[in-house]
Amino acid sequence: MATILVAPAPSRSVRDRRWSTLRRAARARLAPFGAAVLLLAIAVALLAPVVAPYNPLKQNLNNTLARPDWTHLLGTDNVGRDVFSRVIYGTRVSLVAGFGSVVIAVLVGGLLGLLAGYAGGRVDNLVMRMMDAVLSFPPLVLALALGAVLGAGLTGVVIALGVVYTPTFARLMRGQVLSITAREYVDAARALGAPGWRIAWSHVLPNATAPIVVQASLSVAFAILAEASLSFLGLGIQPPAASWGSMINAGRGYLQQAPWIVFGPGAALFITVVGLNFVGDAIRDALDPRLRA
Amino acid sequence: MGRLVLRRLLATIPVLLLVTAGVFALIHLTPGDPIDVMMAESVDASVKANLRAELGLDPPLYIQYAAWMGRLLRGDLGRSIRNREPVIENVGRRIRPSLQLAGLAMAISLVVATPIGILSAARRNTSVDRFGTSFALFGICMPNFLLALLLIFFFGVKLRWLPISGYTDPAEELVPGLRSLVLPAVTLGLALAAVITRTLRSSMLDALSEDYVRTARAKGLSEWMVIRGHVLKNALIPVVTVLGLQLGTLIGGAVITEYVFALPGVGRLVVDAVFARDYPLVQGVVLLIAVGFILSNLLVDLLYGWIDPRIRHR
Repeated sequence: MATILVAPAPSRSVRDRRWSTLRRAARARLAPFGAAVLLLAIAVALLAPVVAPYNPLKQNLNNTLARPDWTHLLGTDNVGRDVFSRVIYGTRVSLVAGFGSVVIAVLVGGLLGLLAGYAGGRVDNLVMRMMDAVLSFPPLVLALALGAVLGAGLTGVVIALGVVYTPTFARLMRGQVLSITAREYVDAARALGAPGWRIAWSHVLPNATAPIVVQASLSVAFAILAEASLSFLGLGIQPPAASWGSMINAGRGYLQQAPWIVFGPGAALFITVVGLNFVGDAIRDALDPRLRA
Repeated sequence: MGRLVLRRLLATIPVLLLVTAGVFALIHLTPGDPIDVMMAESVDASVKANLRAELGLDPPLYIQYAAWMGRLLRGDLGRSIRNREPVIENVGRRIRPSLQLAGLAMAISLVVATPIGILSAARRNTSVDRFGTSFALFGICMPNFLLALLLIFFFGVKLRWLPISGYTDPAEELVPGLRSLVLPAVTLGLALAAVITRTLRSSMLDALSEDYVRTARAKGLSEWMVIRGHVLKNALIPVVTVLGLQLGTLIGGAVITEYVFALPGVGRLVVDAVFARDYPLVQGVVLLIAVGFILSNLLVDLLYGWIDPRIRHR
């Protein structure tokens, strides 16, 4: 009997459940739009050298601040670079920053949450108070301060944002661990003599995945916004490399003569974040209908 | 209520200690020698040595931390490298525009979000609701620096109705002062309004499905009376929670907004200090912001106890 209790669920039913989750996610009204935006962004980022009509760094001082037309779909900037090509290359930075920082946060936060929830007592107290301390800083101010000391550039921004989002995942994971380890099948596994790491790996982690995935999908959108904000302030990718935030900052001095320098990357940023939100909402609704707004 | 205040205050102490440790560590995370990072190579070696001594960077880390904490407890947050003035004086000069901006943004967000949230929930699945939810989505996804530039473009550059940067203190000149704060406050208020709208709509929908609402309707009360007398009060608790949680966003948003509109506030001070590599000033201001943030959250926690007696007695 005990063996049945601790045996992993048959793989077929897990597969079926995953498919039905995907089907539920796809049924959400705006999910297809979100998924299309996300896939397009990933494709554009991967194929940037192929799809960009011009070299994003190539200046043409004879054709500065040119209006959008068929040769330059989003016009040119103050040194004659093609805004459309720069927006395409900027997609890479945004996606790397968005996904990179959330991956760091999920790994570090997840492990800390697992440790805190599983070890309990002083370890739990210390880890969670540390997470509370990180949460005591307004996220952008913390990212700004960390970015300042880590140095400008994509790596610094990804690490800074990773630190900012870590407590969210640590709290989430700890909560899941506490609720899952109180279940009977974990007691049964313990009674059978399963070591702690094995219980964590085969029982706690699989069951804690759903809320982590939901939070991660929504966090990517906010991380992309945060990267753009830091780049806008001059702390992200450094010129002349293209990032949406830094392009918008560079274009704000030309708002009157050439608003397309700002609105091109601005539209790309807004549409990507809206798309990611739709995907996140759809995943949330599919995995946990109780959380539906 | 007294026990709740005491419990929350005690819980804040270890977090405050860890926050100070984090802020202290900030300067030591710098790759290389922080003095070299802060000062140009050409600066005289004796000036660098003076700064090193002033910041106390030579002794072991735990002694440095103890000395730094000792100074903090005496109210000494350090001095700016650039203007040699104490951090507290730098912040004191900049706090006024920031508070005015935050207050006005919060007021705008509540004035906009309350009717939209209520109508969205009361007229669920109608075009009014679709407008409300679209507004919330727009506000959440729109980066505030982009919204700031859009507002500058339409109301400053095209229509020329409002100034696009600079600050006049409304306490000295009311109308020009308010005009200088309108665009920044709308920029900052919209994101907050979006989150409040979403939360209010969702908590109103929860409250509308409660049994006491059915009873109120069965008594023959008008829909407006049901909402005002029974639903709204119960729907407000999650809104207060969100207001507390959004304080961080408000402060972060203020950093960007003050930067775009050239407002001489605390947010702008942080950005300027970061770019000048004025680490003592960054440390001091970030610490003050974090402590302010912790205390505001504490206040929100206590506010729950006041709004909802169930929390007070838990």
